[in-house]
Parts: sequence; C-alpha cells; structure tokens
Amino acid sequence: MTEVSVQDVWMEYGDQIVLERINFEVPSHSFISLVGPSGCGKSTFLRLLLSQERATRGTILIDGKAIAPNPEPDRGVVFQKYSVFPHLTAVENVMLGLEIERGGVFGRLHGRARRIARSEAMEILEGVGLAESATKYPSALSGGMQQRLAIAQALIKKPRILLLDEPFGALDPGIRSEVHDLMLRLWWDTKMTVFMVTHDLSEAFYLGTRVVAFDRKRKREEELKRYGASIAFDTLTEPAPFIADLKAKEAAAG
Amino acid sequence: MPSSRRERLINRHPGPAAGRLLALAPFALFLVAYSVGSEIRLAENPNDKLLPSFNAIADAIQRMAFEPDRRTGSYLLWEDTVASLSRLGAGVLLATVMGAIIGIAVGLIPYARHTMSAFIAVFAMIPPLAVLPILFITFGLGEVSKVVLIVFGIAPYMTRDIALRVSELPSEQIVKAQTLGASTWHIAWRIVLPQMLPRIIDTLRLSLGAAWLFLIAAEAIAAQSGLGYRIFLLRRYLAMDVILPYVFWITFLAVSFDYALRKYQGWAHPWFASQRTPA
Amino acid sequence: MKSFSRLLITLMTSASIGLAGASAAMAEEKTEFKLAWSIYVGWMPWGWAADQGIVDKWADKYDITIEVVQFNDYIESINQYTAGAFDGVTATNMDLLAIPSVGGVDTTSLIVGDFSNGNDALILKDADTLEAVVGQNVNLVELSVSHYLLARALESIDKAEKDISVINTSDADMIAAYQTDDVTAVVTWNPLVAEILETPGATKVFDSSDIPGEIMDLTAVNTETLADNPAFGKALVGAWYETMSIMLSDTPEGEAARTAMGEASGTDLAGYDMQLASTQMFAEPSDAVTFTTSKDVETTMQAVRMFLFERGLLGDGASSPDIVGIGFPDGSILGDEANVKFRFNADYMSMAADGTL
Repeated sequence: MTEVSVQDVWMEYGDQIVLERINFEVPSHSFISLVGPSGCGKSTFLRLLLSQERATRGTILIDGKAIAPNPEPDRGVVFQKYSVFPHLTAVENVMLGLEIERGGVFGRLHGRARRIARSEAMEILEGVGLAESATKYPSALSGGMQQRLAIAQALIKKPRILLLDEPFGALDPGIRSEVHDLMLRLWWDTKMTVFMVTHDLSEAFYLGTRVVAFDRKRKREEELKRYGASIAFDTLTEPAPFIADLKAKEAAAG
Repeated sequence: MPSSRRERLINRHPGPAAGRLLALAPFALFLVAYSVGSEIRLAENPNDKLLPSFNAIADAIQRMAFEPDRRTGSYLLWEDTVASLSRLGAGVLLATVMGAIIGIAVGLIPYARHTMSAFIAVFAMIPPLAVLPILFITFGLGEVSKVVLIVFGIAPYMTRDIALRVSELPSEQIVKAQTLGASTWHIAWRIVLPQMLPRIIDTLRLSLGAAWLFLIAAEAIAAQSGLGYRIFLLRRYLAMDVILPYVFWITFLAVSFDYALRKYQGWAHPWFASQRTPA
Repeated sequence: MKSFSRLLITLMTSASIGLAGASAAMAEEKTEFKLAWSIYVGWMPWGWAADQGIVDKWADKYDITIEVVQFNDYIESINQYTAGAFDGVTATNMDLLAIPSVGGVDTTSLIVGDFSNGNDALILKDADTLEAVVGQNVNLVELSVSHYLLARALESIDKAEKDISVINTSDADMIAAYQTDDVTAVVTWNPLVAEILETPGATKVFDSSDIPGEIMDLTAVNTETLADNPAFGKALVGAWYETMSIMLSDTPEGEAARTAMGEASGTDLAGYDMQLASTQMFAEPSDAVTFTTSKDVETTMQAVRMFLFERGLLGDGASSPDIVGIGFPDGSILGDEANVKFRFNADYMSMAADGTL
C-alpha cells in the first residue's frame, strides 16, 4: 500500500511563486505522468517528492506519514542523465545499494556477503536485459542501456515510490519503446507507485494510469512571478494494451 | 595557377618518420648551437667554465655519479638524488593527503565550504618563499622545514582544485546515492573519493613542477646535500660542467614522474578517460 | 626566490654571452670599460665615487669612459666578470683565485683596498671557547671566505673540518637561521655578525682579526685588458685614492661621504663606521704598496690555495695546487709558471704613492 497525499503544496523561491495550491491524492500502484510546458514546475514538484527540496507550504504524505526531510531509499529516482556512477561497473552500480546497507562503516562487502549481493544484483540486471554488460563501465553502454542500469540500480532497494525525471527523453524512438515496455512490466511486477515527469504527451498517456498536467493560470508577463503553476487537468487514462495483457495473464493464472 | 590544387598548410600532416625527425630537430639544433658556442669560447680560453665541452660534461658526470667524492667518500649524484627525492616525496605525499581530505570536505559539505573556502583562497596567495624565515623559526633548519615549504607551496592549490572538482560532480549522483541509503560519510567514501582519485593524480602532475621549485629553493637556503644544494653551491664557481648535468637530471626525473603518474592513472582508473573534461 | 633568480640569471647569462662569443671583449685597445661592484663595507667607495663624478673625472683625464655598475649579488658580479661582460670587479682574494683565475681568466689585483679585521667571525650560541665548536654543526655559506675562516680557526686549535659538520646556509637567511634552536654555530660577515652578537648568549670566539691580512678585499681587473690599456688602471687607482683621502679624513666632507655610503648600504653613519672599525682600509697608497709587496701575502695565498685545492675548487681534475699560478709584485710565482692566472700588481698603487698618476 503506497498512498500518496499531496496537500496544498506551495513552492516559493523568495518572491517568486513556482507552484501553488497543488492538491491531489494518489492511490496505491498508480503510474502518474506529470506533464506541462517548460518551466512550469513539474520537475520542481518531483524534487519535492524526492525531498531534494522542501515545500514552502503544505505537506506530502505517504501512507499518512509526512515524507522524510532527506532523500531516502523509500523513494527511488532515475534522472535523465548522471544517474549511474561512472567509476563502478554495471553490476557494481546495482550492488551499491546493498553494499551501503549491509557493508558497515565503509559500505563495502567482502567474501560471501559480497557474492550474495552480486547474485541479487545480477538477477535485477537480467530483469532489465543487461546481464551481458555486467562487467562494463557505464561509459561503454549506450544511452538506453545506461537508463536501464539506472532503473535497475534504483529497484534493488525495493522502493515504494519511483520518481522518474524525463528518463527517456534522450533515447532514440526504437530504444524508447523497448524501455517503455520494460518500465511497464517492472511497475506491474513491483507494484510501486511511479511518478514520471515527461515532455512527451504520447509517452505520458501510454505509460501512465493518470496524467497530471501543470500549468500557469495567469500568463501575463507581469503576473508570472506571483502566480505559480498548479494542476491544470488531471485525468485517468486507458491502460496500455500491454497492461491489459498482463492483467489477463494474471487472471488466467489464478 | 589554381592554388586550390595544392594542399593547404593546415591540412598537411607529416608521415611517421618525418614526424619523428621533426620532433628531434629542435633538440639537435640546440645541441649544435651549444657545441658551436662552446668551441668558440674554449678556443679563446681552454679553461672557460661557462659553456663546457661535451667532454668536460662527460667527465663531470663520471665524477659525480661514478666516483666516490674525495672528501666524504660517497657518490655525490646519488646521495643528492636520494636526499632530494625523499624531501620531495614526503612533501608531495603530505600535500596530496591534506589536499584530498580538506578538498573533499570543502567541496562536499556546505558548512565546511563556508568555513574554509575563503581562508584557503587567501592562504594560497601567500608567497611561500616570503614566509621562509617563519618556517625556519618554527620548524628548524632540517628536513621538516623543507618538507613544510613544499606542502605550503602546493597543498593550497591542490586543495582548491580538488574542492572545485568535487563541486563539479553532478548533484544527481549525490541525490541518487541518498536514495540508495548513503549517509554523508558513505557519499564521501564510496562516491566522491573514488571519482576524485584520478583527478587528484591530474592535479598532482600539474603541481609537481612547483614542488620541484620549492624543493630546490629550500635546499638552496640551508642544506648539506641534495640536487638543489649542489647546484647552488657550485653556482659560486660557475661550474657549469656539473650544473648542466644536474639540471638535465632533474628535468629527466620530473618528466619520468609525470609519465609514470599518467600511466598509473590509466591502469588504476580505466573508466576515467571518458570522463575527462576537454582541456 | 632571490637564489632562484640568481640561478636563472646565471643560466641566461651563460647562454647569451657564451653564444655571442664574448672573447672579442677580452684583449684589445679600447676606450670604454666596465667595473662591477657589490655592497660591502670595503667597496662602497666605488658607488660614492661614481655618484660624485670622481670616476668620470679621472676617466676623462685619460680620454676613456668607465661605467661603474652595482650588483645586488656578489657572486653574480664575479660571474659576469669571468664571463667577459665586465673588465673589473671587486672581490676577495680567495674568490678571485677560485672563480675567474681557475676559469682561465687572467686576473690582476689592481688595488688592495683593505683586509678584513674582524668583519668575518665565528659565533657560538651559549658557549664561549673556540674548542666548543668541535662536534657541532656550523652554518655558513659553504666555500666562501666564511668557510676559509672556519678552516683557519680549526687549524689554530689543531682541528680539521672533519671535527665539525658544515651546513650550507644562505647569507640572506643567516639571521633567521640563528634564531632557530637547531643552529648553535655560525660563521658570517658584517653587518650580520653585529646583529647576531646582539642576541643574548651569542659569543664571538674567532674572527678575521685573528688572521689579519688573510681575507683581502681587492679591486681586480682583467690582466690582458690592463696590459693593453694602462689608462684604465691609472684612472681607477687615481679615483680610488682620491676617494680614500676624502672619506677616511676627519672632516665634514669625510663624514658626509661615509654617511652617504652608510645609507647606500642600508645602514647609517654609525653603522658604517662600526663596520669600518673592523676593516683595515689602506688610506694611503704607500701603505697598500707595503702590504702588497710583503712576504705575508705569499704566505696567505699559499694557505688560500691549499684550502681551495683540498675542496676541489682548483678544478676537479687538479692533481696539485700548482695548477693555477699566482704571481707577486717581486716576480716570484707560486704554482705553475706557465699558467699564471692571478697576479698581485703594486705598480699602479706605487704610481699613486709617488703622485705620478
């Protein structure tokens, strides 16, 4: 169960109001696409969910409890770039979450514990189709593979919420659709709630169960500073055919 | 006459053999010029000390490197080299460790940055040779003050450089690490430090030239052995036949260290080559 | 940084002068001459004489021009002379023998201006006998006259350099060095000596007045240049003794001269007079001639050349101290007669004494 409740959230930088009166409830296992024109504050909102920044007003609750003031493992993240660590191989990148958790002061595992962590990481890498690239450094991977690695890296901590900040924007269309389907499958299997910021409306509607659009109501030049963006519309979407298939398979399996 | 048929200069490249010849040419020219100048002076005055002949230089090398000194019985070139390299090594090691610890702290932790940044920037501007008398009084005239001078000379720059590079790490990495459960310490130890190690090697390579400078200056002031000591001692007597080989030896050592560091960096941190910002 | 720029200047000088083939400057008849001097009590008169126009007056008398150039660095002045850029230089007997003479530049001591009579000293911290220096580290400018003084001091108590340990310390930092706990013995020269002696616990246990006449301050010129251009020698000597007669006299003009010299060397009249007190300057050319022609000079040069030889400063290939010949006014020669590169010349000083300049 991962219900997210956003209550009257405002975000201000000094005089400038970026977000105002953001309110919505998110039931468990949702896939929320956050869309809107450039600079409308959707990425800012994601950062609030991440606790990278703190809202000036309002609260965000997960299952009734306020989110922690720092980024924590309960909310995983995949950025558009720089999500993975260049100095670790693919499998080491994925293992990192486990090493930090189980590795004591220096966050390192040795011997048996390390082997266990490694096999857990390899499982996830297989899940995203990167098992063959396990010992490569990210610089040897293509953009699409790097993003898959970033997702794998986040997933090993089994976050309840996954935040995606325009994760597929830099990928070629062919690769993008492969990753879309991967993303859907992972979302379905892990039952996480996903918030995804994107520019691409078709992607938003394909992946999301709900599309939330941010926009400014007042757009005149002199009003830009004092009137922030809020939710312009909020609509449920049709699930992707892919999901319908998965649902059907699950139902058939009993 | 269509000049566009000839290849423009900017597009012309020498072949491999020609390229090597060109690289050697300035050195060869220099040796020829030296040789000519030296012969002119020696014809006039066979005892001239300013531009010794290649023979005289070879004799000096023989004397300093392969014959025990008349008074002390040691092989001067090697004794000097060991003395100088120990000081250089100690100074560089200390400066690197200090620079890494303080630099990472300042680059990563806002409280540290606010406290230390301005201080380090000002400290870096103090001319080290001007505070030598203070160093001597505090640390004496022995090895310690020489090592401290080297540290004083290069650590501030290295610290600032490392701090700058740490701050250039994408914030996405820091946030991602936190979502993987990392504390500030974990971030420093597993994310920042490993990415800094090859950059520390870079800044070390760039600082080595200055480190040699401070080493030689410190030895010129108060010492009993060392490459800088020997050069300044013999400067009195214009013994260029010894000074020139010593200078070339120092240059050779410096070039070798730079090369060795570069090779080590490529071997120990194979992932770094793709990260390098151009310039 | 000074030391480093000195090295840089030496290297650059070598390159430029060497390649220009400065041999041309060495021996021929000419009318323009250059004299290099550096700041030291015995050589300040040259700066004052140049400022007062005394040098120009004497140069005009012989239809030549003499450019008097002050160097901040003593060694640099000698190196420039050795390289052929200057025709004359002020230096000690030991340094002239060791640098230009060994370097093949035949050098003549034209004027014996003075000898150090207390200006160079061995100072011990918290000990007051010369014997106490045994076993200590001694800080001094290695291979300079300070080193020579130390060698003679050790000789005087039947000890040798192996009974102490020399640490080369630059004179610019001598005072700071003395303040550190590590340093317990130094040999240096005035005004550093006077300053260090002001520290409580500092005792002078040996100085140049214990070896009078051995550390000479000379004005030397290139022998060949002098032979081809006697006018150069006459002008220099004439200007020197005129200056001596003014500055060493007990008159207002003398005081003014010494004040100017004091200030030019970074002190004042009192400071300069104090330094003069431990310098035996030859006010009268006749006194200088007597000193120069005495047998003591030969004895001194024997001690000096042995000191240099034992430290490999007469050339590392030297098999004996005879390798460089030293000539004296009476014609006698110490060392290789066929390779005389250092000469004491009393002729011009005699002319000054006789008034025939």
